[in-house]
Amino acid sequence: MDIDDILASVDHGPGASPESTSLDHQSLTRFWVSERAVSEVLPWPTALMDRMMDRVRMQIESIEDIAASSADAPPPTTHNQNANANHNPNLNLRLSILQTDLARTQYIIRSLLRTRLAKLTKYSMHYLVKLSSTNQILSQSQSQSQSQSQPTPEDSVPDISAIASFDPLSESEASFVHAHQKLLASHYSGSFMGAFPRQLRRLDDNAGGTSMIQGPETREVVFVRCLGAAVPVLVVGEGDQEEDIGVTMRMGDVWVVRWEGVKAAWLKGEVELL
Amino acid sequence: MSYYDIDSILTDAQKLPCTFELEVPGLGILEGNPGEDIKPGTRIDLPLWLGEMLSIGARLGTSRLVTLDMPSALSERVMNALKADPRTVDLRSLAPHFYSLGERILELFEEEELVDVLMETFKKRAAEVSDQAHNPRGAVGDGVDFLRGLDETERQLFRAAHDRAKEMRVWSGEAKRK
Amino acid sequence: MAFPLPRGITPSEIGFLAEMEMVTVVPRQRLEGLELLGGPIEPLVPPRRASLPLWLALLLKRQRRANIMPPSWLHPEPLNLILEVESQHPDYRDAFSPPPPLPGQPSIRDDGLAPTARPQYTPDGNRYYASPPFLPQNTAQTEGFSSRDPPALPFHWVEMGNMLLESASDDLVEPDQIRRLLKDLREVRLAKMRAGTDVLDAAATGGGGVALTGVGAMEVGEERGFLTGVVDNLRKIGASKEQARREQMAEQRANGGYDGAQDEEEEDYMEF
Repeated sequence: MDIDDILASVDHGPGASPESTSLDHQSLTRFWVSERAVSEVLPWPTALMDRMMDRVRMQIESIEDIAASSADAPPPTTHNQNANANHNPNLNLRLSILQTDLARTQYIIRSLLRTRLAKLTKYSMHYLVKLSSTNQILSQSQSQSQSQSQPTPEDSVPDISAIASFDPLSESEASFVHAHQKLLASHYSGSFMGAFPRQLRRLDDNAGGTSMIQGPETREVVFVRCLGAAVPVLVVGEGDQEEDIGVTMRMGDVWVVRWEGVKAAWLKGEVELL
Repeated sequence: MSYYDIDSILTDAQKLPCTFELEVPGLGILEGNPGEDIKPGTRIDLPLWLGEMLSIGARLGTSRLVTLDMPSALSERVMNALKADPRTVDLRSLAPHFYSLGERILELFEEEELVDVLMETFKKRAAEVSDQAHNPRGAVGDGVDFLRGLDETERQLFRAAHDRAKEMRVWSGEAKRK
Repeated sequence: MAFPLPRGITPSEIGFLAEMEMVTVVPRQRLEGLELLGGPIEPLVPPRRASLPLWLALLLKRQRRANIMPPSWLHPEPLNLILEVESQHPDYRDAFSPPPPLPGQPSIRDDGLAPTARPQYTPDGNRYYASPPFLPQNTAQTEGFSSRDPPALPFHWVEMGNMLLESASDDLVEPDQIRRLLKDLREVRLAKMRAGTDVLDAAATGGGGVALTGVGAMEVGEERGFLTGVVDNLRKIGASKEQARREQMAEQRANGGYDGAQDEEEEDYMEF
């Protein structure tokens, strides 16, 4: 972030201005489209999602208030009914607009969460290993426990109880994926893995050159629109380090490129996924 | 290879010709002669995963158990046919996982020309797959034979193209949701 | 947890997205301003024009509470011009006609001017560049764009055309002609999209790509499964070659020699 960015962000500090409401809505929409476009789980935008959930809660309350105010109307004598209708002829219209708007936002949030949970369950071991590797001491103590005499599939599930960062997941996603994998491991153990020889009971085995831990493919291609003035596509080598620079996209261009080549630009908001 | 991917597992079960370099006592069962030995020079078709394992000595520089040959699906003759007209070759009868097999073979052999022929073949046939998938009346005439000869990768491509085209027609009201 | 949808938003989700585009309405009744989760809505006072998201404009239209003014491009004349560019213009034989410029992007008439991206800032201090469906590309008078800009198809043109023809055709000028023009445009552009399979290997290499500038959202949605399937499989088939090239580059770098990769990458640039 350069100094202009910092100054500008101070100018547009957090607050409930109408501008930030629509900006958050646009950011959420863009994030949902992005999450649907790639195989990996994208970094959870904690602050944005907290603000969105707060707004959804407040909107539900105000819809309930409006609905209640119409229900509280005086008993239906013909005279009163007309008076009420004249007094606020748009009540039902306003309610239906507010409810439609709420339902649309809830749809996005629900689809976003379900997409992420689907990725998490598909690549559960990958993300657990990723999370636990942020705390080295812990994974060492865990490998000691693995040398116990009776290994079970559950022992392969990394312990994430003491991790400091949940990146790229949210805290509840992290506990979900851990609980999910524990259940799965104990189900495997009870139904067939318990009967296997001890050395075949792991879920993170690497024997035969094929890892049991499957992660998302980052080399697959995505559709992007270039939003910055000029954005180069990176050539990414083994181990995710940048090796070279490929073609350069110009503002307004739409390209089909590898996700790994534009992920850094996406994180900076210089390209958007379509 | 992908641990939980069924297509990847089926790819590795496809067979390729292996020639034994050494005598192996008691392994005659591979030839259908249980209890017998395998003599040097014996040629047997073995699943890719097994052949790869037995040939590993070759890559470590020690004496190898078997040498691998190109599977017939990727033979010179097939490559020539593909160069002539990729659309008329029935890939499925050659190998159900034709391209995946090619990818695995290319990990084991250095064959620059094979890469080029496979890529060109895949592109040309993909264009045809797209045409067929977007034909809302379904395959007609020559199309039926072509679609029957698609390998697994191409079938998945056909499905992807077809499903999205159909969703699009459903969304725009041109077709009814089933 | 089962989530049956494939990677990339589907046609119906793209339609949902297009409903966030702002359109111009002429209200037939009053309505006070509303605070929506998508941002505030201005008060409606007939006969003053107002900008509303398409979903809301359609909701009011279906209840005969407002009329929708057709987007500036959704008229027979501009569509005819665009169709001519798409099918006749030599520069766009293999490419889509140019899309409406983003804010800060020079008009097609000012080719050569450098673009200056103008970011907004989110409450978290991140840069945010607006893009469809959050640009006024479908209002009756496209604010912010000079009138000398040639007409252009917005990103959500298929969806916008389809939904307005279905629910507000009485607000359109010569709807039957518009319907025919949109169909012709679809066909010309679809043919371009499908003719491009041959250059797709450019996107299968690291750092390479295929340009589809001007493509519409629904056109992406329709071809996404096929295009990504082709490119991802080309990448797998060519993996051994990519590996060899990578080793060669590493060797060159280790020897401190000339790095030829830059030139090679240039060849990966392809235009549909």
